[in-house]
Amino acid sequence: MSIEWIEPVLASTTSIGVVYLLGSLGEIYAERSGVLNLGLEGIMAIGAAISFIITIAWGHALAFLVASVFGMLMGFLLAFFTVSLRLNQIAVGLAITMLGSGLSGFIAFPTTRKTILQFLNPELPSTALEIQSAPMLPSVPLPFLKEIPIVGPMFFNHNIAVYIALMLAPMMWFLLFRTSIGLKIRSVGENPGMADALGINVFRIRYFTCMLSGVFSALAGAYLMLGFQPFWIEGMTGGRGFITLSLIILSTWSPLRAIFGSLLFGGIEVLQYRLQLFGLGATSPQFVLMLPYAIAVITLSLLSLESFRKRISAPAALAKPYYREE
Amino acid sequence: MFKLERHTDISRKTSGLIVFLSLLLAFFVTGIIFYLLNVDVIQFYLIICNVFITPALLLQVVFRSIPIILASLGLVVAFRMGFWNIGAEGQIYMGMIAATGMVILHVFYGAIPASLMLVVMGAVSFLAGGAWCLVPASLKVRLGVNEVLTTLMLNYIAMLLVDYLVYGPWRDPEGWGFALSIPFPDYATLTFGGHPSMAGIIISIAVATLVYVLFKYTKLGFMLSVLGKSGEVAKYAGIPVGRVTLLGSLISGGIAGLGGLYVVSGMIGRLRPRISPGYGYTAIIVAMLAQLNPWLILPAGIFFGGLLTAGDALQSSLRLPFSVITVFQSIIFLCIILAEFFRRYRVVLKR
Repeated sequence: MSIEWIEPVLASTTSIGVVYLLGSLGEIYAERSGVLNLGLEGIMAIGAAISFIITIAWGHALAFLVASVFGMLMGFLLAFFTVSLRLNQIAVGLAITMLGSGLSGFIAFPTTRKTILQFLNPELPSTALEIQSAPMLPSVPLPFLKEIPIVGPMFFNHNIAVYIALMLAPMMWFLLFRTSIGLKIRSVGENPGMADALGINVFRIRYFTCMLSGVFSALAGAYLMLGFQPFWIEGMTGGRGFITLSLIILSTWSPLRAIFGSLLFGGIEVLQYRLQLFGLGATSPQFVLMLPYAIAVITLSLLSLESFRKRISAPAALAKPYYREE
Repeated sequence: MFKLERHTDISRKTSGLIVFLSLLLAFFVTGIIFYLLNVDVIQFYLIICNVFITPALLLQVVFRSIPIILASLGLVVAFRMGFWNIGAEGQIYMGMIAATGMVILHVFYGAIPASLMLVVMGAVSFLAGGAWCLVPASLKVRLGVNEVLTTLMLNYIAMLLVDYLVYGPWRDPEGWGFALSIPFPDYATLTFGGHPSMAGIIISIAVATLVYVLFKYTKLGFMLSVLGKSGEVAKYAGIPVGRVTLLGSLISGGIAGLGGLYVVSGMIGRLRPRISPGYGYTAIIVAMLAQLNPWLILPAGIFFGGLLTAGDALQSSLRLPFSVITVFQSIIFLCIILAEFFRRYRVVLKR
């Protein structure tokens, strides 16, 4: 058996993995500071819908920019409800997920989309108002590096967003674990009372991480739309936001390990497409489609086993609102 | 500066007023957002009101609110014991699968006598929904796995399981290749006096009564409430936390499973893919709006059933996508959560 099939498989593993990676980078910051952003799924959907529309009107660069602005707004909403008003993070997150999936379906709906596009760019030709797909980000193979067997096609033959995401991961790891701002973020998530006593502004840190998480969730959605699957379908995020939340636990809240977690779930998704082509997938693809969700449940369970739990520890103040004694 | 003071005691009247005001806020905020997105807001609200005052549509409203009400009553049990069951959607689907499975057993294998069909279908869909909730519950009890993510994942799995069955082994051989199960025979149809909604209302009121009795008069209900207030206290009080959690989630998922029974056997008469427009998620909002009070679930559920019905009307008359209803629902959800804040705190101006 030749190994030629393995290179395209690895290439698409990275392509999908980056959706998870972008989502997890921001979410890790939020969780490290003690806020669970369950709205990730919905903000992703908003990011996808907005980038779809803005790309058609104004091009790729602004699409990512506008999507992240909206992501930041959603992150602000999350912070206002959970940090300032100290409301339940699970309920608020679910509400934001519903809001995001509803709004994305609404603004990308053909008639609404047409109105928005005409407003944003009156010179668009009528065909552009109707299309269901966005122009994809062009692939930029890196010279020489792409020639390396296996590693080349896996990492060096992609669009620019993939390279940026892969570079961001170590940078965000460094920021979180080797700088004073990272230390502040982590201490707020471990012991907000102590952090507050040491003069760290708990509220400001959490606002920052929530908005950061919003930005990255939206970027994950924008990348999903522009870099991976350029056809708009309502509900195209398909639970990937929730799967991201599980892989963060698997990555023990580390941006570097999130690369591996993301590639793992990216790989499972590729496996799913491959299996659909032959064997089990051809007769009943549904079981193959269940794989990512089932594996997420199994992973969560295994990680909760006593022997694992000692080694990974969640931020102690995760999902707990902070009350300042006055 | 502002300062927050905890309410020590809040009257039921004030609490109700806060929730009412938060609903008004939701109407207002939704109006602004839709106005910005070029929707005829007046027309939008008129259509929604119309659904509740036109008798023919009101029947449709009740018809569609039953699955929400049932799932929501199930969630009352879970939420009161502090178990974040986000999986009502999947539990509804499992209830549907179980009910359809019984019909298939009966029609093709003659397994169950026709006179017992509805009883058996009810019992089996309760158990199937309950079992689907027992999976995350036992993972929580045995391994300490957080239930939020697992219940969510199981929703997707249940939905795909329905797809598998109706595209595969359960596809109606006489269904011209559509992804449908066989139609349910008359004696497997949930109806009372010719109206499925009537049967649905009776079941809903019965279940609401049972949930009320459970928490008001039984030891199990008391233990569930203590567990919901604090897991630590429950442990020190000698409550078998594990067993109570399992039992509570069996009941919670089971009631949602009954919602699934109503959908296939009362509303549609067949199993087909993606039947639920998110009943299980809407049920979360309803449970919170009703403040986990089983009696209030009924009107709250009917309100949201009305929104779903209005969603269809909006599609045909204003040519809006169904997702406008999702947006409206989620804004209501956020405002209800906000109401929780005002029920807990008083904002005081401090100099």
